[in-house]
Order: sequence, then C-alpha cells, then structure tokens
Amino acid sequence: MSIGGSDLDRAIAQLRACRPIPENQVRELCYKARELLIEEGNVVGVDAPVTICGDIHGQFHDLMELFRVGGDVPDTNYLFMGDFVDRGFYSLESFLLLLCLKVRYPDRITLIRGNHESRQITTVYGFYDECLRKYGSANVWRYCCEVFDYLALGALVTGAATSLTPTDGPIAESIQSMDIPDADCDIEIETLNANGEIMYRYARNSDSHSTAASQTNSNPASSSPLGPTPSNTGPAGTGATSSSNGSSKNETGAVLCVHGGLSPLIDSIDKIRLLDRKQEVPHEGAMCDLLWSDPDEIDGWGLSPRGAGFLFGADIVKHFNHRNDLSLIARAHQLVMEGFKEMFESTIVTVWSAPNYCYRCGNVAAILELGEDGSNAGFVPRSNGERGGGGGGTTASGGGAGGNGRGWVLGSNVGPNGAAIGENRRLSSVLGDGMGRPRDGPGRRYRVFEAAPQDSRGMPAKKPVAEYFL
Amino acid sequence: MSTPNGAPVDTAAPSHADTSITKEGFRISTRKLPILKAGPIDEMTKKLGIAPPEMIFGDNLARIEHAPTGWFIEFNAFDALDRVDKTGESMLKVSYSKEWQQNRQKQFEEIKEVVKPFDWSYSTDYKGTTSTNPAFQPTDTPIPLALLKRPDPIQFFDDVMLYEDELADNGIAMLSCKIRVMPARLLLLVRFFMRLDGVLFRIRDTRVFVEFATGEVIREYTAREEKYEVVRKKLAGTREDVLAIMRDPNPLQEYVPIVEKVLEKVVLK
Repeated sequence: MSIGGSDLDRAIAQLRACRPIPENQVRELCYKARELLIEEGNVVGVDAPVTICGDIHGQFHDLMELFRVGGDVPDTNYLFMGDFVDRGFYSLESFLLLLCLKVRYPDRITLIRGNHESRQITTVYGFYDECLRKYGSANVWRYCCEVFDYLALGALVTGAATSLTPTDGPIAESIQSMDIPDADCDIEIETLNANGEIMYRYARNSDSHSTAASQTNSNPASSSPLGPTPSNTGPAGTGATSSSNGSSKNETGAVLCVHGGLSPLIDSIDKIRLLDRKQEVPHEGAMCDLLWSDPDEIDGWGLSPRGAGFLFGADIVKHFNHRNDLSLIARAHQLVMEGFKEMFESTIVTVWSAPNYCYRCGNVAAILELGEDGSNAGFVPRSNGERGGGGGGTTASGGGAGGNGRGWVLGSNVGPNGAAIGENRRLSSVLGDGMGRPRDGPGRRYRVFEAAPQDSRGMPAKKPVAEYFL
Repeated sequence: MSTPNGAPVDTAAPSHADTSITKEGFRISTRKLPILKAGPIDEMTKKLGIAPPEMIFGDNLARIEHAPTGWFIEFNAFDALDRVDKTGESMLKVSYSKEWQQNRQKQFEEIKEVVKPFDWSYSTDYKGTTSTNPAFQPTDTPIPLALLKRPDPIQFFDDVMLYEDELADNGIAMLSCKIRVMPARLLLLVRFFMRLDGVLFRIRDTRVFVEFATGEVIREYTAREEKYEVVRKKLAGTREDVLAIMRDPNPLQEYVPIVEKVLEKVVLK
C-alpha cells in the first residue's frame, strides 16, 4: 500500500478533523517525507512570498486558526521554524498534518527543526506519551523521530520586498484612523488582527535620517514595536510627500530562518551547509546552538547562566547579517507575549505562533508575511476571502486619510519627549561604525491571532474543580 | 478595550478579575489574569534586577485579610521572585553542563562571561507578604489535619498560578497557589515545585490555616529537596510510572525528604 495522491488527500482530511491516521499510514508517510527531506540541504532556499511561523507545540486547533488567518496551503507558502510537538495535547495530529502537507505540496511548505524535534526532549515533554496513548506502542513516535533527523536546520528566504503594499483592510475599531500613515507611504511594518483589520502601520522615514526610522524601532528596553502605550507620538516624521528614496522595491538582503539562533562556530551560512545534520540533536556544537541559542541585550557572546548554551548580542547579529548579506534573522524558540518581538534595530525577530501557550498563558500568537519583490507584497488572495481583510492589490488609502506619512503611529515606543530617539541615535552611531548601516529590512506584515475556541476534550476546565488538597 | 497590538484584554485563557468570600471578618480573595505583556515585564525586570520567568502571572494574587485587625497575608509573583537569589551564588547547572563547558573551552576560550548570573531555577522560600502587626510567632501547634480531612462543603475554591518556567527545556519551576474555604476554616497552599532534569528536585510548601471562630492562623513552611538520581533510583524499584511521578509533586513528596520546616502562629482578635 502506498500513501500517495488521493490517499494522501484522505489522510489530510482526516488529520484536519484532528483524527489520527492509522499506524501503517504514518509509517508510509514518514518514509515519503524522509525521501523528500533528504534531498533538502541543511539550509533550504525559499522564495518570497512566504509566511513564517514559530512554535506550534501540539496546539492543533490553534494551527487551524493559523491557517485560517494566514491562508490555507497551498494558496499561501509557509515556513515553520520547528517545535511542532510537545506541551500541547495534539502534537501527533499537528505534526502529521504538517508532514502530509509537506509531502503533498513540497514546494509550498518548508519545515525546519526545532529543539523539541528530538528523541530526548519528546520523551520528557509529552510527544512520546501522546504517541503511546494514541497508538498503544512507541512505533509512531519512532517513525516521527526518524523524520526529525532529516529536517533542515534553517531556511534562507530570498526575493522579499522592501516595502509592503498596504492592505486595504479596514482599520480596527480600537485604533484612531488618523494615526495610520497613508497607504502611499513606504510601508515597512504592518500589524493586522485575525480579521485582517489594521492594528498598526509603520512607514519608513525618508528624510535625511532615513534609516533612523528603522532604528527607532528597536529601543532595546522595549520589545516588539508594539509598546505598551498607544500614545500619540506628536509630530514625528516629516511631511506628506516623504517618499523620496526612490523605488519602494529596493533590493533587500535575504532572511535567514532558524529555530534558536546563531553559533560562535558559524560565521557564514555556508558553514551551516557543511554540518552533518542527520542525527539526534547533539548536546553541544553548531547544530545544537542553532536550535537552542537566544539573543540577549549583551555585547558579543555570553554563556547562559544555566551552564550550557550561548547568548548573543546585537553586534553579533549585525556582523553576521552584514557578512552574509542578510537583512533579517527570523527565529522562534522563546515565548513572546505579543506574538513577535523585534530586537537589535530590527535585525532579528522572534516569531511565536502558539497562542495561549500551554492553554493558560493568555498570550497572542503571530505569523510573519514577507512579500515578493516587485509584486504586491505577497497579497495572495485568501481561500477564505470574506474573512481576510486584504485581498486584491488595490491601494485605496482606506482609513489612512489623515496620516500623511508619519513615522511611528500606534503603540510607538518613542515617547513624545523624544528621549528614546536620542538614545537610539546614540546607540546606532556606535553600532553603525565600521559596519555600515544595517540593510533595509524586508517589509514585514505580522498577523496576530488568539487561541481558537477549543473543544473541551482534555482542556483544563475554565473553573478549577474544588478539591480536598492538604 | 484592547492592547496596542490588538489583543483583547480578556483572552481565551481561564481568567477572572477578582473573586472573594468573607467569613467572620476574614476576606479571602483571588485574582487570575493572563501572563504579563512585554511592557510590564520590562518594568518588573528593572525592579527585580533579574529576568522574570518565561510565564509570569504578575497580576495574579491570593489574599486573606482580617478586617477587624487590619492583618493580612498575600501571595504574589513579584514578592516571591524578589526572594530569589540574584547573585548567582546558589546557581545550579544543567545536567550536561560539564560536558558542554569542556567542549566550549576547547573552542572558545574567549567566551567565558556568564550573562547576568542569578538563580535561574527561580527557587524561592517565599512564605507570603504579611503584616507585622500582629506578627507570626513560632509555635508547636501543628495544622489540624484531621479537621481538614473532613468532607466539609467547600464554599470557595481557587487555583492561581504565580509563575512558571521551563528552565529552557531542562525541567520545570513553578509557583502556584490553591485555596479552599469551608464553613469554619480555610486552607491555603502555595507550592514551589522545581525539577531540574538529571540534577535536583525541590518542593517548598507554605500552608496557611485559618480557624474563623478563634481567629487562629497557623503558617507551616516545609522545604523538601533531593538529588534527581536518588529519586530516580527509589522510583525505579516501584511499579510507578517514573516520568509521570516526576511531573507531579503530590506523589513525588514521598520520595523527597524534608530539609527545613518552620511552624508559626498568630491569633487575631
């Protein structure tokens, strides 16, 4: 028997309904997947447009919500940065569905390895137990682990557009539309809610301090460009006709996607390509670092206080990006409450795609859309067109009427007192020396979404059940 | 009402603002909200001087107050974390640290700075934030377990998480609080549970017992600690599901001996 064509479509349908497929089909699927993955390099080349996703952790219903918000496969190209399994209750269904989609649409979906795609970690954090519970044996777990060993370690996205074509989605109710920059501006960042409504839009400044715009985006003390206070920023930015830096389709560097981060053993992407990846994730070495390390507000490299693992600072990222002609590193691995968090003058971003993590954190999730160079920023019509706010490439200025090309608009982390701006100028002048300014980042559209309504099976009760604890 | 990035304030997480019950002058209240957002986390980091745990329920609390005397005891994440060692003196190391360090030293001698050392296991001996007037005094009177084993109706119950950290997939550290209020008395249990895989177990329980009629409040702090390997060996001799037990402090207690016990009492009149 073989799992191909219509069998595969049947398996996809069954998994979409959150029902596991029979063991022999899993074996067949994993075999097919391995054949496919073995052909992939350690760093998979991916063309924009693509939607980049972070940790899933077995939250199947939220993965379905992700597809609803981001568009279905194969209409949307996806890149998942690992940690498909563990913690959540449906690791099996989540991973097998992604794997089925990979086998069915190999060019439409890219899966790279997270630190949880490992035998050792899955035995402790749930996936092993789940397989045992659902199949009565560890066979399925074993098949999946063999696939883990073949997953790529990273992906390199090329051809991403520098600017977004603004969506013509409505402005979300809670937002004052006058604060949204005009759609004619050079849009660098846009945040949409799950209904495709614009929450937030940031135009690249184009005056003489042109790249200062992206620098204000990285107040190291703050996190994502979504500061805590949606205060007005005052008359920041310049006048209405500010797009003077030529075409909005500037060439941007490539985007490296990796689960954890960088390694002191790796100074070029080619060095990642040389690793022997087809093994269990080792406890040390470059492969381990790529899946485990974290960025931190430090200079250079540091050691985690835990006694294993590296931390890396802004200078490391900027140097690596410069050397490898990257405009951005996208990584996952760390829970971020707002779903995404840009750091180090937007040279690295953490994307987190498991909303209400572990069914109790109450965090939101995000996915990152990169548009296609020279196109309309990858606005692929959604399969569920009536829900998605975008569609079409029209640039009707929508609610942007009063905006007139301001820089920061909503939730800016630059306060009206301008102190943060000074701070960032100072910072950038230090970092800019000798390395040149960071490349213009790609236009980034974040879609933020919440946890899907869960069915009640296995979910913690909303109200705790009284118990006679002692 | 929404936050800047559009996340509604009330999320799908099981949460509630404040709930309370009042019994003979004692007001018992809990608050359960989602994990803190980036802004408040930055603030907390500054105030604490250490990075808070990955999942920080900084708005949550459990509180018992006695209106007639103004006495109170409260449990919140910030005060608990403020008692975590911030110097790195009592810092633990993950199980494979030695192996990792040896390999690192061969390759990267120049990288040796440990970033912001502190007790990243978030071990705390927090016994609650309480008023000193009147203050707890040492006592020999134990919490009357027999009374608590009676199936009296539970009139108020809550289960409040204060913080949790996955120790970068090396185990778990969590501080959580349970409270049950019966017609004549209450029991509150704040438990710190920490498992560092291959290294160590810690269970630190603070129990607060209140007898409403007499105004008697007993606080019992019990710290348990044992090496991972010792527990694993003990469990290997049983027919228990070893991994399952290692995740659950209730059955685990039996295998983790007491290293410290403090018993205190205050009578409110």
